[in-house]
Amino acid sequence: MTTTLANRRRPARAGGPERGRPAGRSGSSASRPGFVWALPASIFFGLFALVPLIAVAVLSFTRWSGLGDPKFVGLKNWEALFADPVMLQSLWLSLLFIVLGIVTQTPLSILLGVWAAGNQKNRAILSAIYFVPLLLSSAAISVLWRALLDPNFGIPGQMSWLFGDGNVLGTQTGAIAVLIFVGMWQFTPFHTLIYQGAARQIPPVLYQAASIDGAGTVRQFVSITLPQLKNSIITSVILMVVGGLTTFETVLILTNGGPGTGTTITAFHMYQEAFRRFDFGTGSAIALVLVVISTAISFAVVRVSGYDKMRSSMEGL
Amino acid sequence: MNKHGWVARSIAGGAALALGLTMAGCSGGSGASSRPENEIHVAMYGDAGNTVEQKMIDAFNATSQVKVVLDKIPGAEYQSKLQTIIDTPTAPDIFFNWGGGSIKSFVDADLVLPLDDFVKEDPQLKDAFLPSVFEKAVIDGKAYGIPMRGTQPVMLFNNSKVLADAGIAAPPATWEELLADVKILKDKGITPIALGAGDRWPTLMWFEYIYDRVAGEGLFQKALQGDTGVWASPESRKALGMIRELVDAGAFGTNFDSVKFTDGGAPALLASGKAGFELMGSWEYSTQQSNNAAFAADVLGYSEFPKIEGGLGDANNLVGNPNNFYSINKNTRYPEAARDFLKLMYSDQFVQEQVAIGNLPTTTNTEKFLDKAADPEYAKYQFNLVKEAPSFQLSWDQAYPPEATVTILTAVSQFFSGQIDEDGFIKAMQSL
Repeated sequence: MTTTLANRRRPARAGGPERGRPAGRSGSSASRPGFVWALPASIFFGLFALVPLIAVAVLSFTRWSGLGDPKFVGLKNWEALFADPVMLQSLWLSLLFIVLGIVTQTPLSILLGVWAAGNQKNRAILSAIYFVPLLLSSAAISVLWRALLDPNFGIPGQMSWLFGDGNVLGTQTGAIAVLIFVGMWQFTPFHTLIYQGAARQIPPVLYQAASIDGAGTVRQFVSITLPQLKNSIITSVILMVVGGLTTFETVLILTNGGPGTGTTITAFHMYQEAFRRFDFGTGSAIALVLVVISTAISFAVVRVSGYDKMRSSMEGL
Repeated sequence: MNKHGWVARSIAGGAALALGLTMAGCSGGSGASSRPENEIHVAMYGDAGNTVEQKMIDAFNATSQVKVVLDKIPGAEYQSKLQTIIDTPTAPDIFFNWGGGSIKSFVDADLVLPLDDFVKEDPQLKDAFLPSVFEKAVIDGKAYGIPMRGTQPVMLFNNSKVLADAGIAAPPATWEELLADVKILKDKGITPIALGAGDRWPTLMWFEYIYDRVAGEGLFQKALQGDTGVWASPESRKALGMIRELVDAGAFGTNFDSVKFTDGGAPALLASGKAGFELMGSWEYSTQQSNNAAFAADVLGYSEFPKIEGGLGDANNLVGNPNNFYSINKNTRYPEAARDFLKLMYSDQFVQEQVAIGNLPTTTNTEKFLDKAADPEYAKYQFNLVKEAPSFQLSWDQAYPPEATVTILTAVSQFFSGQIDEDGFIKAMQSL
């Protein structure tokens, strides 16, 4: 019965003039895909995201060292977490990492991305070179920079006019600067790629019209390119926020959360509680805090930016 | 109708897939049957000493039907990795550990095989080892580990060429001499003492020795048994004051927090002559031997930690690791093969190989192989050191259960770099 109904509503299957018509303008939900198509992804999401999330939520009310069975302790882990000065500090540090990451990576990747979208000579070769850091694993990158930053045998030892005694990773400011720099080195290529793709989608006719009106390169960039990249900027920033909250390998290998607790960001704090102290209850509680915060930030960014209305930046053209 | 059939099939298929994955995820626990056939895995602390472990395994595999596989786990993460896998189907059959506190929780969780029956069949498994060391893996009267590798006292290593060039005739025997040497080396523009503080545990060694010399081994024993008041005692404050004095004298330079031992930074400082001393476990020798062979053979010097005048601790006391141990997973599929493998730990070949890379096994037959060591003088020196020590204190981070080590290491590194003062350190140690 439903079959016939669906068939009746559905336009001719193959061929036919409707084929190239953009979806959504047909005025009905006829061509909307059914839930079945979302089933594989939903099952996958349920198994590998929801089930572990629920397990973590349950674990956060227990005391468990990884051996034997978890013991239920009520709100004890949560009380300890709110009284833990390192936890609060780690949240501030994570926030700082996110803000510094966005501030350093976004302008650079927009400029590089827009440039890479053009058709200059040697552009393809240079773009490929810029892309290399993204191909390396975080662990490899961290080991590499750790060796390069050795105070006695690495770059600081050769450039004492810049680095002083070379104690770069031994001071909180230095360690944070290194982590931000390494993050930038590693992830700018990725965000550049997003902007490159987006910049290529901007219709050339806009620039031609602007040229005729006498707008220069800078004016064209500010008035055409940036507004057209709005949705990409939002996408990129959300990825940076979530990525910044879960930054971990570079901290583990480069600074080990130190000096002291100077770079103990929340994700590292979670690892330390769960896998160094073997206190999986507290570790799970921290994990839940991370989930709540990153979800909240993502929602906020989407809301504030109007991204949820799914408006194309091409609308009105 | 066709379409419905397809939907139904795909739902059923998806559900089956989901169920299969869930089942796979739940099959943990004992899981003995999921272990590979004719294969046993040894989880091993990964470092320069692994060459000997591999040799012993090759020798064993040559005659055994059940083959042993060595799983090297990078040192800094060894304990975390072990705790994470020990209760899963991928758990090792035999695993490296530090005895006592490091395996207590595994024993409590009934994951470790008591070795008493094996010892009864083959008394050598016990009698071939120095009793004081064998005892360190005995928990509630049952033996859970067989000593392996070598005893690891912490010693003050030096670059004898740097010392000679600076006019320092002999390694410091007293605290005052150490401070004087620090000043001489500092004035010459050399970092007096190499320290891989980035790893934190090398910093802890300074605390262990200075506390032991000033307050005696009793203070830490009491603290370990729960008497946290001792951390606020006058001896404790005196030890902390001396540590502060040493750091403030510039003994470690200013960039020690950026240097690590595990990536070879601190040993390279000593070998390249940029530093005069390094306080390190006896494995410094094998580390230097594999990284800077010529330096290890001719220039590397060593001495005991200096005496501290007026201190309560015996000047011959040692700190470090009395030894490492192999323990057997209770769920192993081939306990007999594992037992036979452990028998190699008192074999002449094992002792010879260990001695050759500068390790000192704690077997009763060790003494007769000392002449065959890579550096017989070093081997004999170390052997006598251990033999004559009235007390051999296990490293604090191994003596305490794992949940305390993060606190200890953070406090130690913060005190060294001046982020917390005496009161801050005492408070941190009392929170354990």
